[in-house]
Amino acid sequence: MPTDIGSILIQLFSGLSRAMMLFLVSSGLSLIFGVMNILNFAHATLWLLGGYLTYTLFQLFSNTFGDHALLIVPAIVIVTGIMFVLGWVLERVLIRRMYAREVPEQLLLTFALILIFGDLIKLIWGVQNRRIFLPIEPIAVFDSYVNPYFFVIIAAGFGVAGGLWWFLHRTRYGKIVRAAVYSRDMVSALGIRIPTIYAGVFALGIAIAAFSAGVFLPIMPIGLGLDMDLIIQCFAVVVIGGFGSILGTFVASIIVGIVYAFSIFIWPGGALAIIFLILVAVLIWRPWGLFGTEMRY
Amino acid sequence: MTSSAGKSKKKGSINGLYRQAGLTGTIALILGIGFLLVPLLPGEFPVIVAVEILILGLFAMSFNLIYGYMGQISFGHAAFFGLGAYATALMFRAFQGATGEIGYLDFFLSLLSAVPVSAMGALVVGFFCVRLTGIYFALLSLAFGELVFYVVFSWYGFTGGDDGIQGLMPPPFFRDTVNYYYFTLAIVAIAVVVLWRITQSPFGYSLRMLRENQQRAAFLGINVRLCMLVNFVIAGTFAGVAGALWGPFQRSVSPVLLGWTQSGIPVFMTLIGGASFFGGPMVGSVIYTALNSYVTRFTMYWPLTIGVIILFLVLFVPGGILSVVDARMAAYRRRRESDADISAGSADGREGVQ
Repeated sequence: MPTDIGSILIQLFSGLSRAMMLFLVSSGLSLIFGVMNILNFAHATLWLLGGYLTYTLFQLFSNTFGDHALLIVPAIVIVTGIMFVLGWVLERVLIRRMYAREVPEQLLLTFALILIFGDLIKLIWGVQNRRIFLPIEPIAVFDSYVNPYFFVIIAAGFGVAGGLWWFLHRTRYGKIVRAAVYSRDMVSALGIRIPTIYAGVFALGIAIAAFSAGVFLPIMPIGLGLDMDLIIQCFAVVVIGGFGSILGTFVASIIVGIVYAFSIFIWPGGALAIIFLILVAVLIWRPWGLFGTEMRY
Repeated sequence: MTSSAGKSKKKGSINGLYRQAGLTGTIALILGIGFLLVPLLPGEFPVIVAVEILILGLFAMSFNLIYGYMGQISFGHAAFFGLGAYATALMFRAFQGATGEIGYLDFFLSLLSAVPVSAMGALVVGFFCVRLTGIYFALLSLAFGELVFYVVFSWYGFTGGDDGIQGLMPPPFFRDTVNYYYFTLAIVAIAVVVLWRITQSPFGYSLRMLRENQQRAAFLGINVRLCMLVNFVIAGTFAGVAGALWGPFQRSVSPVLLGWTQSGIPVFMTLIGGASFFGGPMVGSVIYTALNSYVTRFTMYWPLTIGVIILFLVLFVPGGILSVVDARMAAYRRRRESDADISAGSADGREGVQ
């Protein structure tokens, strides 16, 4: 273990920012599973698509309006909107047909989406990694340098977590969504359109994922195959936290992110082995996750 | 695909065979003859594809023991395939020594070593998995699979990490693709016969009962967890046998063999072929592997093609190809029988996972 406070801080920041990314992608996954009982394997692929779209839009804006770091904001907003619409359409056209099917068939459908969207990305953007360079100076923290963009990411993560909590607990639509998690029959008996709620939740999950891809573009290059690694880690996060629990997903993201960052001191390269060991332990001890309810078990 | 096309051409004779042997027997006969004749095709490529079909088909059939018969999804099944492959590869390396040559006895011993290793792996993983059902069974098997994957991936000193293990050159006789093909065919055929015996045994029928209703099975005196565990170990061992054949065929093993994308392969093959049929996974393997190999030759964008095909199959052929064939054959027979004004009393007990 290194003892200097600088390198510990760096690992802390990198762990927290990783946790935020995991949370942003997993929260949609968890919400979709909680409400619709669909495990969306293609979630990270749509995340990747959102990242590439943001990249292209940012390039377009920079070429039109000149270089400016803040141009990334409209790019992210527009892409989040586009992906919301795409999520809505996907739910309407494909996912909807899968609700009555068995789990492996749902997995097969979303896996087909991984292949299709992954290959479309390759077709459009090619195989090189893409990245946005923002002109940001690192700031000194205890003789080490930290990219201040980390603070933007951590703020974005906490912001979305808070917003999601507010939406689910304080707004009418959020309450309907939570009610649908418990009893979709009762909700639909009250005259609420369940299909619209489902489409909205799916689209919201995809939109949050696309948003996070845009936010991370300046510090993390995106490339083909990244979605395959991410989705499996997101499953770990969702399961550790408990399906359908936003708080659980948030806590699990922080655990996984911090463990990932600090495992470099213990077993370099073995970070994911440690995380899956935690996942196995949680599944044996509490299959419904740390914050899930036993109901679905 | 090939079997259904062949069927529509000469419906009469196939129909007779179908009535005699049932769907499983018909498929076994068509695939058996097809596999024996593959080396007559021009070039080496069809033989290489056929070896892949056989190995992955056995892998998928072992998976279907858990999915189709026991009603649980093992989404970490590649762990046992990979354990078998790595056990063989590590023994192979140890026997090879400095010369890079391996004797026949040592070759068979290294293949055999896959059996205890994958069985032990399946015993440990299964011990925990059988305590759960449904999605949690799938997730725990997935988590174990990924755990094994990342351990193999990061343990450079023992497994070679992401480089894998190269230079697995089998003894001279098996270097010829056709010889290795017939060797694989023989082993897979024996394994399939053993699997068939298992599924037709009282044990096989208690598995089907576990799929339908675990509580009722327990009331009837079936030890639910033990039964599931035994089945898990059997399935893992057969996956290990399939994995053992993979290394000397590819001349190398890599951690990809244990990852979750590899675990997806038997799931897809089984669903494409038809999970409720004994031969379904093998038919799925023929379709998936052949498509995979041949589409790759024509276009760079084969994932797109295969994705669209899978999408189509999931949406419109939910029971797998064989369920369509089965329904067609049943309808055809009914029509024939009503034409001939035979009483409609020909009971057939060959529907569902037999």
